[in-house]
Amino acid sequence: MLSWQKKFAAYLELEMAELPGYFRYCLNTGKLVLLGILVSGGVVLQILACALYNNWWPMLTAITYVLLPMPLLFLVGSGRSSLFSESDSSWVNATKFLTGASAVGSIAIPAILKHSGVIGWGAFAMELSSFFVFVFAILCYIRINDEDDYSSL
Amino acid sequence: MDLLELWAIFGPGVAGAVFGAGWWIWLDAVVCSTVTVPFLHYLPGIFASLAALMFNCVRKEDIDYSPYDEGEWRLKLWLFIAYVVSFVSLAGSAGLLIQDSLDKSAPSVWTGVAGVLQCVFVLICGLVYWTSHPE
Repeated sequence: MLSWQKKFAAYLELEMAELPGYFRYCLNTGKLVLLGILVSGGVVLQILACALYNNWWPMLTAITYVLLPMPLLFLVGSGRSSLFSESDSSWVNATKFLTGASAVGSIAIPAILKHSGVIGWGAFAMELSSFFVFVFAILCYIRINDEDDYSSL
Repeated sequence: MDLLELWAIFGPGVAGAVFGAGWWIWLDAVVCSTVTVPFLHYLPGIFASLAALMFNCVRKEDIDYSPYDEGEWRLKLWLFIAYVVSFVSLAGSAGLLIQDSLDKSAPSVWTGVAGVLQCVFVLICGLVYWTSHPE
């Protein structure tokens, strides 16, 4: 490595270390805004799938969307390690079971409605898009909770 | 971490997914059937779900394998009844499949096959949940 490249790398490291605390606090606020946008996008796609075709059968999927974040509601308060670790608690295993069942149900209900001809391809595509947007929001939420917020101030 | 720890972490979620897949197959067959499916055809799936719930209500450390003391006979009777219910529901769904294939006015053969697949998936989900608990 050339000497000017070494100096430039050292300069970058100094700049990153001296990033102000309030700047990282703004970054964390931006992450929460991203989460809000994702969840709102999922809800909008869900309602569009029903309202555009004036067919409210796909609203059944909303039941499974409520069950999908079950481990997060019970476990992520103590950090990411609770979700991705084995547990002796039967409640934790039951919430994981419900999440697996509702994840498959979120795909099963639009697929059954499409197969029986109750909804068309457009509503089916919007239902699947809504599901994947929600899953992406949950993964982003897990990722955000993984970071230590105390180091930002 | 090794494979057993991964299985303990993600096993309950996989069991839930298999359960959802089993009921997906059955509901798809019922909704898309041209003939109304009588309630008798629902019973094997319901009893298979009950059986999977029954033998996962048991805590593993309560099962006593000692040849000296008297074991917990109520626990073993409960497990025995759970296994009986599971096998009877599987046999019942196979019997309904045979009946559907012989009778013209009954639901189609795919409905019977979906019933058998539903029972198999639901019982596999019970096994997955059972094996994912650490000893």
